[in-house]
Amino acid sequence: MATQTPPAPAPPRPAPHAGGLGTPRYRRPFGAGREVTIHWLTFLVTAALVLAPVIPVLYQSIRNQPLYAAGGAFTLSNYVHLFTEADFGSIILDTLLFAVLTTVFALAVAVPMAVLLERTRFPAARLFGQVLRWPIYISPLVLAFGWIVVYGPAGFLTSAVREGLGWVPWNLYTLPGMAFVEAVAQVPVAFLFCANALAASDTSLENAARSVGAGPIRTLRSIVVPMLRPPMLYAGLLIFGTAVETLSIPLILGEPAGLTLFSSFLYEQGIDSVSPDYGLLGAASTFMLLTTIGLVAVQARLLGHAQRFVSVRGKASRSRLLDIGGWKWLGFAFVGVYVVFGALLPMAALILRAFTSLLTPLVNPFDLLTLDNFRLIFAYAPYTESIVNSITVAFIGAVAVTLLGTAVVLVARRSDFRFARLLETAAQSPHAVPGLIVGIGFFWAFAWMPGGDAVRGTLLALIIAFGVRALPSAYGAISPATMQLGAELDQAARVAGADWWRTVSRILIRLLVPAMLASFLLIWTQMIREYAPAMFLAGAESQVIGTTAIDLWTQGETGSVAALATLQIAVTALVAGLAGLLLKRKHDA
Amino acid sequence: MPELAVENITKSFHGTTVLEDIDFTVADGEFFTLLGPSGCGKSTTLSCVAGLEHPDSGTIRVGDEVFFDGLPRTAVPPEGRNLGLVFQSYALWPHMTIADNLALPLKLRKVAKAEQRRLIDDALTKVDMAHLRDRYPHQLSGGQQQRVALARGIVYSPGVLLLDEPLSNLDAKMRGQARMWLKDLQREVGITTVYVTHDQIEAMSLSDRIAVFMHGRLQQVGTPVEVYETPATPEVAGFIGRCNLLDGRIDEESPADAKTLRVELGTTGRHLRVVRTDTAPAPGEAATVGLRSERITLTDRTDAEGDHADVNVLRARIEQCSYTGARFEYVLTIGDLRVHAESAVRHTGPEISLVIRPEDCLLYPRAT
Ligand SMILES: Nc1ncnc2c1ncn2[C@@H]1O[C@H](COP(=O)(O)OP(=O)(O)OP(=O)(O)O)[C@@H](O)[C@H]1O
Ligand SMILES: [Mg+2]
Repeated sequence: MATQTPPAPAPPRPAPHAGGLGTPRYRRPFGAGREVTIHWLTFLVTAALVLAPVIPVLYQSIRNQPLYAAGGAFTLSNYVHLFTEADFGSIILDTLLFAVLTTVFALAVAVPMAVLLERTRFPAARLFGQVLRWPIYISPLVLAFGWIVVYGPAGFLTSAVREGLGWVPWNLYTLPGMAFVEAVAQVPVAFLFCANALAASDTSLENAARSVGAGPIRTLRSIVVPMLRPPMLYAGLLIFGTAVETLSIPLILGEPAGLTLFSSFLYEQGIDSVSPDYGLLGAASTFMLLTTIGLVAVQARLLGHAQRFVSVRGKASRSRLLDIGGWKWLGFAFVGVYVVFGALLPMAALILRAFTSLLTPLVNPFDLLTLDNFRLIFAYAPYTESIVNSITVAFIGAVAVTLLGTAVVLVARRSDFRFARLLETAAQSPHAVPGLIVGIGFFWAFAWMPGGDAVRGTLLALIIAFGVRALPSAYGAISPATMQLGAELDQAARVAGADWWRTVSRILIRLLVPAMLASFLLIWTQMIREYAPAMFLAGAESQVIGTTAIDLWTQGETGSVAALATLQIAVTALVAGLAGLLLKRKHDA
Repeated sequence: MPELAVENITKSFHGTTVLEDIDFTVADGEFFTLLGPSGCGKSTTLSCVAGLEHPDSGTIRVGDEVFFDGLPRTAVPPEGRNLGLVFQSYALWPHMTIADNLALPLKLRKVAKAEQRRLIDDALTKVDMAHLRDRYPHQLSGGQQQRVALARGIVYSPGVLLLDEPLSNLDAKMRGQARMWLKDLQREVGITTVYVTHDQIEAMSLSDRIAVFMHGRLQQVGTPVEVYETPATPEVAGFIGRCNLLDGRIDEESPADAKTLRVELGTTGRHLRVVRTDTAPAPGEAATVGLRSERITLTDRTDAEGDHADVNVLRARIEQCSYTGARFEYVLTIGDLRVHAESAVRHTGPEISLVIRPEDCLLYPRAT
């Protein structure tokens, strides 16, 4: 289909047959069906949004002046400068080490848990499975704050241990410490990949191994774990990529210790420095962009392969869960310690910190209860505004991105648009662009574009930048749902007299409503946590929760940061709960 | 209503030719069936007519209205063709009631509300589904959904009705009933119908004419009787009904003017007298004889083999006999040839006589 030349416009319609009702008439703007206009509009909007942050970065990296300044010239000196700068080598090495450690830690925790919870008789497996997913809804920034409150130098447990032992066996402000905190944020990703792969795999292999006399542990070692290689590899790459681009932990934990990673380098160059070197920033951003694009390309290839050898065979042989006897309790201790000390305790401590003036093992926290932390936020208008801003941006953004994502999916998957595949790739490509770079790129794009100044620093700029970041998620949430709708549903409508747009509006959109709601919810939770692009883009009036939290953190207002994080968690949970109810009601009806 | 003409259409997917030079015309009010084995291109042909696929070349017309033309390229979109289409999967829109499913094509045609109601009632009554008009598709059985799909296909009086294996999801008994009322309905509405199936019984019992497809080519177009009695090629003979295809060679001594020809069967040294046809190969040339299993008479009589005045008699060994309820089916061997035959009575063998009338033999040239 894709290679066909587009049909010429239809000849004038003859009168309908006697007695028949004839065919419906449709307007034909530009001499072609109106779907042609819609397809091209969707394509051009998507392409513009996706390219807008990338092109200025590439362009700036080879200019010797700020890209909007007159009289600049092309140069490679920015790259020379970047790679000869003394620190840059060690920055790359540290980033690499951080990413590798994060990946190793996350997999080391997630893979055994996936096997234990999916494949063995495990106490309260369902409950643990649910709790393990939670950190997905909490931003790594908030998680990092929680960890500092508990395990930081003056943290709750740190003080307790110092009191007891006289020394503390850990230090968060080191590369392994940072990697561990980042790993906690990434464990759900690896866990979901591995657990889903195990749930979908054919268990007759295991049953066969059992039947030839392999014990449960032996079966796990030689059948189940090798089966996990593809999801481990894929999740590993995903985590590695996230660790390379993440800003929160390098900024919160690395900077105070003098550890500069790639993302914090960009932050220092672009925001902290008094007179930013735009060329250097462009070159560094380009370098980082190429790294993440490379990683995503490898992921895409691997995913293509992985899907081919995941054995999905229906549920004919529902697994008999393996009984690993006494090992079960060791496993239980492992999962329990991780869940309690890795995720629950930091969150509980952060929330408790929000309501106290100090959190220390020396004083009963309930003697220090106070609302001062919240008062500080609500007393100062820009802080309060940032909460409203986050909610506004997330709400409008989630609606807009869900609509654009739906349009993209319908054009890419349900039309004969000539560049359907390209559109699909374009919509997924922001996945490879780190949040900081989206921020830098749009910052420059607005500076460069005529009339861009009116947008820069407003909420609209944030909605656009956050929206581009979220577009791949919307695509991912909606696209699978269209695959479950048989092509005959559209074809029947077309033959019955509906043009493409009518088919979409009368049939497909109606059937995609649940997927669109799910997409909205996903994007909403993603956007309310998002802050990296705002580091560059937000003006004084358009701060969001994340940027305000970092601001308060650098002022040492730990309590107010905790309060802000608590508010963010509360709002997220509230909306998730409401949407859950709504979706459930829809489902029951 | 005008006729539907499909002229020389060709279609390939990614370099593999799926349709080659397909050419047929369906007359006004005719029930026309595309019959062929799975994957032979029936659905693709139907999709081309509906406008869901575009051929690489050729022309598709209804009356003077050109739906598709390879050169200069014209392609009317599906919504501009005013056809009715019913799928194997029914494709009822799951979020709409039965009545709303039927109303959509009418709404698109801006039919007034009252008129809509009348047309919907009319169509649903024709398929005996008027009482379920407010149900949703998932609340109906397969057979009921199939009727609704049909009603949706005719409610707006399309020019041509296209049906792609509409009965294949029904169980055997339902299918028999559905076949009958489908035929009645088509007669009553008088609509030109193109029907796709791989089931020869459906094709034979429903159609005015059948087009037999194989490997993307049209093998034969004819009435059910023509297709069965005088199949154009051995493949058609083999696909429709149970037909033995026996390799042989026309006897050199066949008299040139006689009504019948003698065919030497393989290397068995036996001969078969068959009726001469216009397309019969010349003496000495290789031939294939088609012999329907139900046209072979079996007898225990041990009359001498060889030429009789009006019939062939061949001796054969019984290799296998299976009881199918109505009759016995036999696998027989004549020398190294295997022959399938059937009989109402049980023969125990081990040898048996086959009585074959020359006019029951189908004679085809065979490429060697
Ligand atoms: N979109 C497509 N891309 C590639 N090949 C296709 C496509 N659609 C059909 N084909 C091929 O074209 C051939 C004919 O397909 P078609 O669906 O017309 O067969 P059919 O006669 O309807 O068979 P069945 O009775 O199984 O439905 C098949 O070999 C099929 O694999
Ligand atoms: Mg088919």
